[in-house]
Amino acid sequence: MKKHNHFCKMKILLLLIFVPTLLLAQETITGKVVVESTGEGAPFMNVIEEGTNNGTSSDIDGNFSITVNSLPVNLKVFALGFAEKTVSVATAGNITIQVAESTESLEEVVVTGLATSVKRSNAANAVASISAEELVGSTPPPTLDGALYGKFAGAIVSANSGAPGGGLSVKLRGITSIAGNSQPLYIVDGVYIDNSSIAAGLNTVSGAAAGGSASNQDNPTNRIADINPDDIANIEILKGASAAAIYGSRASAGVVIITTKRGKAGKTSINITQSNGFTQAIRLLGVRNYTEQNITASGSFDNDDLQNFIAARNAGRLVDYEEELFGEEGFISKTNLNVSGGGEKTTFYAGISHQNEDGIVKRTGYEKTSLRLNIDHKITDNIKLSLSNNYIQSSSDRGFFNNDNTGTTIGVALTSTTPWLNLFPDANGVYPDNPSGASNILQTRDLITNNEKNKRFIAGANLDVNIYKSDHSNLKAVLRAGIDAYTFETLALFPKTLQFQNPDNGGVGGVSAQGTTRNTNNNYSGFLVHNYFTDSNLNFRTQVGLTRELFDQNSVLTTATGLVSGQTNLNLSAARNIVQNRLKQEDFGFFVQEEINYQDKIIGTIGVRGDKSSNNTDVNQFFYYPKASLAVNIPKFGFWSLDQVNELKLRIAYGEAGNFPFFGANTTIFTNTAIAGLSGITLNGQLGNTDIEPERQKELEFGFDLGLLDNRVGLQFTYYQKKVDDLIISSAIEPSTGFISQVVNAGNLENKGFEVSLNAVPISNDNFEWSTFVTFFKNTSEITKLNIPAFNTGAFGATLGTFRIEEGKSATQIVGITPNGLAVLGDAEPDFQMSFQNSLKYKNFDLSFLWQWKKGGDNVNLTALLTDLNGTSADYDDIDLDPAGVLGNGDYRQSQLGVSARPFVEDASYLRLRELGLYYNVPSKILQNWFGKIIESAKIGFSGTNIINVFDYNSYDPEVSNFGSNGISTGVEVTPFPSSKRYLFHLSVSL
Amino acid sequence: MIMKNIYKIVGVAVLGFMTLTSCDIDEVGDLNGPTLENIIDNSTKGDIQDLVGGILSDMRVRLGTYYDDVGVIGREYYRFSSSDPRFTSDLLGKDKAVLDNNTFYTTGPWGARYGTAKGASILVQAIENTSPAYSEQEKNGLRGIGKTIQAYELLLNLNLTYQGGIRADISNPESLGPFLGFTQSLDAIEALLVSGATDLSNAGSEFAVNLSSGFTGFNTPATFLQFNKAISARVAAYQGDLSALSGYLTDSFLSLTNSSDDLANGVYYVFSADGGDLRNPMFFALNASTAGVRVAHPSYITDIGATDSRRSKVAQRSSSITSDGLSGDYDFRLYTTDVDPIPLIRNEELILLYAEANHISNPTNAVTAIDLVRNAAGIGAYAGGTSPAELLDEILRQRRFSLYGEGHRWIDMRRFDRLGDLPIDRVGGGDVEPDDVWVQFPIPATENQ
Repeated sequence: MKKHNHFCKMKILLLLIFVPTLLLAQETITGKVVVESTGEGAPFMNVIEEGTNNGTSSDIDGNFSITVNSLPVNLKVFALGFAEKTVSVATAGNITIQVAESTESLEEVVVTGLATSVKRSNAANAVASISAEELVGSTPPPTLDGALYGKFAGAIVSANSGAPGGGLSVKLRGITSIAGNSQPLYIVDGVYIDNSSIAAGLNTVSGAAAGGSASNQDNPTNRIADINPDDIANIEILKGASAAAIYGSRASAGVVIITTKRGKAGKTSINITQSNGFTQAIRLLGVRNYTEQNITASGSFDNDDLQNFIAARNAGRLVDYEEELFGEEGFISKTNLNVSGGGEKTTFYAGISHQNEDGIVKRTGYEKTSLRLNIDHKITDNIKLSLSNNYIQSSSDRGFFNNDNTGTTIGVALTSTTPWLNLFPDANGVYPDNPSGASNILQTRDLITNNEKNKRFIAGANLDVNIYKSDHSNLKAVLRAGIDAYTFETLALFPKTLQFQNPDNGGVGGVSAQGTTRNTNNNYSGFLVHNYFTDSNLNFRTQVGLTRELFDQNSVLTTATGLVSGQTNLNLSAARNIVQNRLKQEDFGFFVQEEINYQDKIIGTIGVRGDKSSNNTDVNQFFYYPKASLAVNIPKFGFWSLDQVNELKLRIAYGEAGNFPFFGANTTIFTNTAIAGLSGITLNGQLGNTDIEPERQKELEFGFDLGLLDNRVGLQFTYYQKKVDDLIISSAIEPSTGFISQVVNAGNLENKGFEVSLNAVPISNDNFEWSTFVTFFKNTSEITKLNIPAFNTGAFGATLGTFRIEEGKSATQIVGITPNGLAVLGDAEPDFQMSFQNSLKYKNFDLSFLWQWKKGGDNVNLTALLTDLNGTSADYDDIDLDPAGVLGNGDYRQSQLGVSARPFVEDASYLRLRELGLYYNVPSKILQNWFGKIIESAKIGFSGTNIINVFDYNSYDPEVSNFGSNGISTGVEVTPFPSSKRYLFHLSVSL
Repeated sequence: MIMKNIYKIVGVAVLGFMTLTSCDIDEVGDLNGPTLENIIDNSTKGDIQDLVGGILSDMRVRLGTYYDDVGVIGREYYRFSSSDPRFTSDLLGKDKAVLDNNTFYTTGPWGARYGTAKGASILVQAIENTSPAYSEQEKNGLRGIGKTIQAYELLLNLNLTYQGGIRADISNPESLGPFLGFTQSLDAIEALLVSGATDLSNAGSEFAVNLSSGFTGFNTPATFLQFNKAISARVAAYQGDLSALSGYLTDSFLSLTNSSDDLANGVYYVFSADGGDLRNPMFFALNASTAGVRVAHPSYITDIGATDSRRSKVAQRSSSITSDGLSGDYDFRLYTTDVDPIPLIRNEELILLYAEANHISNPTNAVTAIDLVRNAAGIGAYAGGTSPAELLDEILRQRRFSLYGEGHRWIDMRRFDRLGDLPIDRVGGGDVEPDDVWVQFPIPATENQ
């Protein structure tokens, strides 16, 4: 579309030079294009004499002048961002043409190549788009990934915990990798964005991995959380290889392409938004109803407990520690200022945002400042330079939760904290030791620090050059470079005064773990795009390109123990341990793509990408990823006579994409160790595999788009089949080899599913408009081949319920022991997901809300078991689990321990009012009366996130992951940071 | 003109880009540690020292889990962990709970021991290719260290799987040896020890590497050989070969005296608080909570004499502790700091092995040995009968208290078929089954047996 504009302008230029000398009779029309809503002049609009190549464009104030052969004529006025308009002009002289801003027109193109886009109506893939309005219009999300819930079909978005600062997993069209990366590639304005989760070293204290679960349980955020959602103009989601093949080896988990806002020429526009509100736990579990009888009967308590209970009850000193811990209302403040504008040659967008949120646990919170400056400059009519710059500083305090083996995390310690304990500090601020546990939860909460800080700079440059143009062809070059660089610091501080750090209690005298990660991604690419048109409007578009990406990450984590006199400096300690981990990867790729468009009736594309990477054993071996697609627009053929059906597109697309083995998969290395002053080297447990190859995903999708009643009703249906061959699996090998695992290409998996989305505007009149968007999708997976024996992974073993990779079974099945042996007890894959997004406008009121329904999908929930073992479960004495109706739930679950894992596998369905927003747009009359012409528009409103949550799941939230984002093991719960709901008030003013 | 210049600039930019996106990629290699190939094919003497340090360090990995496995099943103590219920359910066979073949208590120690054994076999390979080269005597010394430690590590795994056996041949990861039966496994371990002993006998007077402080007194080829023989003696006892046991004891560091220093003389796992090092995993502070604690099995206190100085291996808690229907008043207190050493094998065990070697053939010598231990504990000379059965009872009783918490009780009861004598804490009733005393751990699932 954009290209077409350039093409037109070139022709316009030629015409303006030559045509006047050839023509005899001419009429000149002058006039102004104005924006309907504001009355401002609309700059740089294309003004074309319909049916000819004669045209011009408006100047910065919206004025234009066009010379035509004869009157009357039809003038067509159009530009990106505005609805196209055609006016009939009968007389020469001054006219005013009003144009309306259009948000839809922004959605009309979708990216299909690295340097090109295509009209949505011609796209052969179901590429999801999210506009700025959909992203943040209803309610501002805490982090970018948190805004993707329910906004499009085919994604499972899941938060790992409720800790402030994010930490989410996004999976597109099912699980795509078992050991390799399963999170999509994020690209912001052409820059490859790092989305690492970097652990803060809490494991030193929690010992969570000591039980043999090597996965990270530190609950870090993932770094896409840094991107400010308010700066985003549009997000496009390529859900699988059929759309993303052109991204080659990094695209198998899908690609999320983010475009940030850019300036428009004309009046400088300023928008200020202030949001304030609070957050609170969506659910607390409550406290067991203790009685003398049930304390006496419990295997967890002894006579001391009983006496303490009686004394505390009689004195009215029973404390609800869960409420004490999670009962806070965290204050949220978010300020957003953006300024945009510019002139004919240069436009800019500046966004400044500051966000400060407290968590539902004291001393937790998230603070982020983001500065963005996007500049576009036309060096000449044919050369355009675009720069995007973003600096982000973020800090999050995340508390100390999840699994441990030391009884020290607040979550685990809470399970053994009974109401009759006194854990509050005395008048001197000294916390008593918890006599029935390793730690005093209030002391831990008040004294520990678990902070992540990031300073990040993301910059992208894009140079568009129109090299050559003629009537039938043109050639364009696009050069692109991007940098994503950050310095990430973690600080985990456990002072000596903590119960579990006190050497008298067996502690190590305080821990200070400080980590620094420097990460730099560089990406460079160059493309040539050639267009060729025939007279019959057959368009051949050819593009070739080269890409090169460099990734460099260096992490150093120093853990000091035995802190000297309350100090935190690493050197003021008795002992220090340092771990450094470096990653380096260099990828090189090329691609070629040919698109053929016959009169927008039939649009076909074929292409291939070749990739090589330093992560492969043979670094210069190319891996090739082909793609092909076809879209047919049936109404365009003209034999269609149903006026109600304005669009019927049939589409089919196939593509392949890859996923590199992770760094170091092909080497066997030693790491350092020491024994009482003697240093040594030890194998790290992984046997290198020099034959390891990238995973290969092959996706076929097909479906149709139906548009009815001038697109007031739209229906999209897509079926996909996604096969992943050569699955990268960290395979457990016989431990008697001396190694624990080897990374192998060990099987294939397949995801099949369908996505339906329906958008409609059921009511639209002057006062009232209702638009609705419904999505429904379902995915099923199967391990179609496994060359190694079936294995358990991703949880705590079969006794407690675990994932199991097994040929012929779902990739996300959950198995566990039962009296009849190992049996399938559940599946993490939901039966289906559905979302229901609505927007209602009545006069000056806007109401929007989004319901999300996840039906089915199971979790492994161990929180209840841990509270049972300590006799503290709120439902301990209820009797609704035991089939015999005899045992209370607590006793029943314990009786099943070692017998059956069934009680620990729970349905994690939920229905949520994910977003709700109600806004009032202050009428311009009132604004004018009050503020004169200073304020252009203003709106006030209220919004909320997760306000209504319906689920049966026996814990804080079915959306949870003890093991973070990656791999298949989301949905395992061990005493997490509880999820929260948010309420916000907003004031937004545009100048 | 301006336009032309701009095109030139663009042209240069395009060329620059093509250079940046040039085609060849350099190998990055592994940035985070030396590779196995490097160590085996091309190491220095410094690397060999590091390899030995690594093996000695690795011997301690998951040691706490190993001791908990054998100590809990042997009813020596309870292990409470509020975040892991399986210490009191699976290990004690609570109700219908069974040992799982893919859970940390099975896989963790097993894998760690094989990891160390692998390190030892790499050592034996790598010493052939060093530069500068070792002398043949030096190589023999290093081989002796490697084989002895490998044998000991295999023995610990065999202690877990018992009749399930172990793989003894682990030299080639691509083609591992088969699982051997219990007897064959013991024979293979013995053979490895014998081979190591031969190497040590031809290793001159000094090792080419330093050992950890846990080997103080055993850090020359001659004294390390005594350690090798002590392990061989334990293996012979497990084989029930009392004459071989006598022979090995003669060549070991057995000392028939009973000063406490002599009883404690032996080889130890050592720990420190230094960065990169491990702390004693068997240490918990006194009065630790159910979050993490080892509580002496009540029978230890009930069964030990009131004046027995070995009572000090447990310590009375300020208040009793209860978890999962199990209670105790005494903490397991073998170690009082988190850097105390843990014995691998020490003279007190050798003395009792000496008693065992003689309990049929020479009861007088057996009683002499028993009395050394009894007198050290302050409970006076043995006054019971001297029939083999009576002496065996007494030897097992003394082993129970003398080697408390050092990983022997369960194995001793098993090898004399007395597991049924171990106390059952939760007797069940109704639908609830009583606790079980397991005979052996399953072979880890990942061995694909």
